[in-house]
Amino acid sequence: MDPTTAMYVSQGVHGIAYGMVLFLLASGLTLILGMMGILNLAHTGFFMLAAYFGYQMVQWTGSYWAALAAAPVIAAGFGVLMERFLLKKVHAYGPMAELILTMGVSLVILDGVKVVWGSQSLPLAPPESLQGLIHVLGMPYPVYRLFIIGLSLLVLVIMAWLLYRTRLGMIVRAAVSDAQMVDALGINVPVVFMLVFGIGTWMAGVAGVAIAPILTVSPGLANQMGMDAFIVIIVGGFGSIGGAFLVSLICGLLSSYRIQFLPQYSAVLIFIFMAVVLAVKPEGLFGEKHHE
Amino acid sequence: MNKNARWAFWIAGILLFAFFPKAAGIYYSNIVISTAVWALFAVSLNLLLGFTGLLSFGHAIYFGTGAYGTALALTHVDGLSFFSAIAAGSLCSMLLSLVLAPVVVRVSGTAFAMIHLAFAQCMFVLALKFRNITGGEDGVSGFSIPEIRIPGSRLLELTDPALFFYVSISTIVLTLLFLWFVIQTPFGQIMVGTRDNPKRVEYLGFHVSHTKAVVYVLAAGSAGVAGAVSAMHQGLVAVNDAYGMMISVLPIMIVMVGGARSFFGPIYGAVFFAFLEEYVTAYTDKFELILGIVLIVFIMYWPLGLAGIFLKLKFKWLTRRRLFRPSGQRKTDEYS
Amino acid sequence: MNILETRNLNHDFDGHTVLSQVNLGVRHGEIHAIIGPNGAGKTTLFNVISGAYPPSGGKVLFKNKEITGFPAYKIQRLGMGRSFQMTATFDQLSAFQNIRMAILARRGIRFNLFRRVDKMNDITAETVDILQKLDLWEACHTPAAMFSYGRQRSLEIGMALATDPDLIMLDEPAAGMSADETHMAVALIQKLTKGKTVVIIEHDMDVVFSLADRITVLNHGTILATENPETIRANAAVRAAYLGRVEDE
Repeated sequence: MDPTTAMYVSQGVHGIAYGMVLFLLASGLTLILGMMGILNLAHTGFFMLAAYFGYQMVQWTGSYWAALAAAPVIAAGFGVLMERFLLKKVHAYGPMAELILTMGVSLVILDGVKVVWGSQSLPLAPPESLQGLIHVLGMPYPVYRLFIIGLSLLVLVIMAWLLYRTRLGMIVRAAVSDAQMVDALGINVPVVFMLVFGIGTWMAGVAGVAIAPILTVSPGLANQMGMDAFIVIIVGGFGSIGGAFLVSLICGLLSSYRIQFLPQYSAVLIFIFMAVVLAVKPEGLFGEKHHE
Repeated sequence: MNKNARWAFWIAGILLFAFFPKAAGIYYSNIVISTAVWALFAVSLNLLLGFTGLLSFGHAIYFGTGAYGTALALTHVDGLSFFSAIAAGSLCSMLLSLVLAPVVVRVSGTAFAMIHLAFAQCMFVLALKFRNITGGEDGVSGFSIPEIRIPGSRLLELTDPALFFYVSISTIVLTLLFLWFVIQTPFGQIMVGTRDNPKRVEYLGFHVSHTKAVVYVLAAGSAGVAGAVSAMHQGLVAVNDAYGMMISVLPIMIVMVGGARSFFGPIYGAVFFAFLEEYVTAYTDKFELILGIVLIVFIMYWPLGLAGIFLKLKFKWLTRRRLFRPSGQRKTDEYS
Repeated sequence: MNILETRNLNHDFDGHTVLSQVNLGVRHGEIHAIIGPNGAGKTTLFNVISGAYPPSGGKVLFKNKEITGFPAYKIQRLGMGRSFQMTATFDQLSAFQNIRMAILARRGIRFNLFRRVDKMNDITAETVDILQKLDLWEACHTPAAMFSYGRQRSLEIGMALATDPDLIMLDEPAAGMSADETHMAVALIQKLTKGKTVVIIEHDMDVVFSLADRITVLNHGTILATENPETIRANAAVRAAYLGRVEDE
């Protein structure tokens, strides 16, 4: 292959890898939003927190795999704690109060990590087995990026199986569509909420540990991917996993290629596009109206 | 409160106001001016949040535009008077709100909050890009603080800190007075009706979108005044202080801690945060962490904010002294 | 003669037909009840008439003017009032403020930013008057959310009536009320709607038969019959569709 095509393909792989991680991050957010009507502003904070936990685990155990296994779970644990002890109490005061509460938690996490780990960027190295390049069809690819794509696909497949092939998944999908109805059917909705919150945060945690070697662990990590995540869920639709997947991939590829193709005002255009979508279809492009 | 107590209160207040700058010095005068600016900014946000039920995550748009409007007007127009400069800033904000209103009034709830987040980020990026106008990250500075010409008599040089103190605080208080009055009018009632039950408001024959638009422009204009005063006070308007994320987040916190359901709530909140900033930053630079914790605690345990706490205390004090009449009509500025 | 008319009104939701060829005529000054089993389309009919959404087909005429597809606020300003099955008051505001809002609406005071509303004595007087008629004058300054259910329903109906509309649409005003509360509600409606036209959806047959001048029976989105109460009672088809069980109660 000639160098130009090689470059495009390589950038494509980077883009897809970023897009898949973005999807992991955004899908939890959109599920929670679609089901509970809460936009969890602390979601990206947990994403970043998992990256920090991952860093710490590597410092203690030297094993990336241990970090990948444990950090997202710990972050998810914190997420569930937030839901149980903070959000639930505030639920009666309305969605605006919940939103602002998550904003408060976000501030605590963003500043809190600086207290424990300082403000500088921390490195998180992928394991030996995933470093370097691998040659596929005569083209070199970074192994780690391929790993990310594979990992994300694995999580996606497990999620899809859980959502579409199990009874629990059916309940969750029903709750996303109409939580009140599910409650009326006698299903313990608070437990379902907790579960979805936990799993959604866990996926964000996986995203955090996965992307950390590439973006490095820093306090700015949350906001770096945060804006993109919001764009994904708004355009992809609140509660729509399929929409999130599609838009994440597009976002990933766009951000990889935009240096060449899109003009200087791309950031502004994206924001205006987001605003227009919200104005015309407040539940997101591919979203469904939330049943009251 | 009986009449004599009221008079005493007002006279004490005016005396305090008159002697404050000389007695307390520049440092504390500046803090009071900053607090007043944030109080007005928070009250303007509360018009949307507490009184009409609309949360904006990007109210910085109007603060920043007011600041830039005033700074640029003072830079490019010679001999601009103080009030014209304020008006310039506020007008810029109102114009911007008129442009955005048709889009924005069609949404509520989370969508309303997010759309403003998007706009705020947009303005941030635009301000950085148009360096030639806004000075980018360095900002606009070096503009002179205007003077006030009292017809027939002297010229007030506002470079004198005490004079600037009096004029800027007066401007802010006047704006607050105006907003307080609006809450008391029939329109104010429709505002709170829209917060509680927009469908019902529509079915009574009111046009909800028009109502939201008017509130929106008022909120933008008053945020613009706050930004304008801030610009003149700081002598510098830079992107981060105009359109930064914290500029949108802080008024939300001030409103929630102070009390969203009361007109004066955000003012209590601003004072509270002023104290917080003074004493916390002496010990730690993790100010945002403290803010987050304060916000969480208040939302969970005192959802009605400081205003709610004060109201409860007043209730207790009045019942203890048997001054409370059960069928007392609630004043229209509290808890409506 | 017909203050309200629908012509061949159709409506479907996602391909599901809810209203089909509905030709309703409401005469000036009458109390007209709409009854029918659950899912017959009664509330949808109300929604289409009062402007919640435009119908899929057909026309709505109010005072001989076409209002099909008009938004709710426009129709209300033309003189139609509506109450809701799920109580839709301003629950954080006091009963006083609730009724006052309706009075302000009636008088077209919408964008007045110039006078303090508490000082508008004529508005206050009217509000007090209506509150007394609704028997809500005592404790009228408590927030609506703290009232008993029956009083909230009274407030709900009161708000619809306070705008002094020519046509009042009441959607299950007695919903969820005890027998006593229902009696009071019926007396209230009779007292406050003298000289006005009323269209009422109700399930409680006592209410229907004590109030209505004429009854329309809706079933599966079509009108089965529109007659006076005795004729409806005797109509076999109607009985079969709906009233059959009532006889045994």
